[in-house]
Amino acid sequence: MVARAGPGGRTVLPVVRASGQLAVRRTGPVTVHLVATAFGPLGGDDAEVRLVVEPGAVLRVRSVAAAVVLPARGDSPPSAQRVLADVDGDLDLQLEPTVVAARAHHVATVTVRLGAGGELTLSEQVLLGRTGEQPGRWTGTTRVLRDGRPLLHTTLDLGPGAPTWAPPMAPRAYASTTRVRPGPGVGTATGVDAVRLPLPGGWVSTAWGDALDRVARADADLHPGSRPAAQPVLAGVPS
Amino acid sequence: MSLTALLALADSRLPAGGHAHSGGVEQAISAGLVTDPVSLAGFLRRRVGTAGSVAAGLAAAACAVVGRAVGGGAVAAGAAVPPSVAAALADLDAEADARTPSPAQRAASRQQGRGLLRVGRRAWPHPAWDALPTQPHHAVALGVAAAAAGARPADAAAAAAYLSMSGPATAAQRLLALDPITVAAVTARLSPLVDEVAGAAARAAAGPFGGLDLLPASADPLLDLLAELHVSRKDRFFAS
Repeated sequence: MVARAGPGGRTVLPVVRASGQLAVRRTGPVTVHLVATAFGPLGGDDAEVRLVVEPGAVLRVRSVAAAVVLPARGDSPPSAQRVLADVDGDLDLQLEPTVVAARAHHVATVTVRLGAGGELTLSEQVLLGRTGEQPGRWTGTTRVLRDGRPLLHTTLDLGPGAPTWAPPMAPRAYASTTRVRPGPGVGTATGVDAVRLPLPGGWVSTAWGDALDRVARADADLHPGSRPAAQPVLAGVPS
Repeated sequence: MSLTALLALADSRLPAGGHAHSGGVEQAISAGLVTDPVSLAGFLRRRVGTAGSVAAGLAAAACAVVGRAVGGGAVAAGAAVPPSVAAALADLDAEADARTPSPAQRAASRQQGRGLLRVGRRAWPHPAWDALPTQPHHAVALGVAAAAAGARPADAAAAAAYLSMSGPATAAQRLLALDPITVAAVTARLSPLVDEVAGAAARAAAGPFGGLDLLPASADPLLDLLAELHVSRKDRFFAS
């Protein structure tokens, strides 16, 4: 998908192509929604999303519903989703939560290459296991570059089989937001099972716990400008 | 390669300043997450699997950069390293920053990198030391030290992974007054994990595609949170 600055602040999309499990629907002046055309993803599925946001263009990408990752029959191989974005405008990528069912393993990779004027808002929400079932596994990598220089590169591996998914941090729910844009720098902030860290020209916040709604709120509470939440500086860490 | 060089790099006697850092275990103890040998083992396992894995990949890559350009070990007096080495080490230093978003952990890594630079320069003279930034990340400095001492990238990875465990283990032993023999047993049992993490990181650093994006980037938001809570305290024994 290519987003180009159009007349009157509108974003035109000279290239929109989708096939396989995903369709793209235009839903607003600068907004598109990704629509899953089938159940899944299923173990072994491989989806790739390629985004280009040209200078001056704004592109808001959403999805219509949570993605439920299901295992294939038998010994399920991982499913993969790779997002690669080249951003000289403003990309706001916030999809609905990914729910990883028991026995499934989803590998999600987001790579954003920002040009000199590029701006980014990226949020991810993950829930391991549907109600009443065992958690699945999610391995998520975020790599953000500015002019080829890495600003952030982290891989988080959650769920059964992940080497570091063990008490005191074996959460079922996880939320994270990355924002890179010009403006005053922000420092570190901490919450209970949540932390915000500064990036060059931005920040990244992360929260984890058992229930996704609470975790998403804990993440949002750390966003600069959000109403000040109770943030005891030396809170006990495990919930 | 020099086996003694590897032993020296992983020796806590090397005065690079590592003894002042607890690798997050001081805050984990304050938060009640580490209380005994069992919970210490769990903490060390996640530290080796995250910070240790990242450090091992960077150290192996830095060692390989120097080795490819000028060869490791003793080099002729007056030998210079090509500018590409400084650029490659600066790239690795930036990759270390990207994998260490916690300012407290960044500062701890750079303090220990500067300490290692100071002792390494005297212990293993090599022109590659001049190609490092003045306050390099510890893992990048460790890779240069390994090359200067005549060790291989896989050795640099092993030393980095081992240090990610031995530092916090020693700190926990002191803070909780644990039996040293018990702590030795805990770390000995983690040896296979350290080997596995170091091996995987060294393979990633040596991969046929060799991209910096392929170096391990395992994050641990819990360790980030602990590091930021720790640095805001006034009553801490350790710098990190």
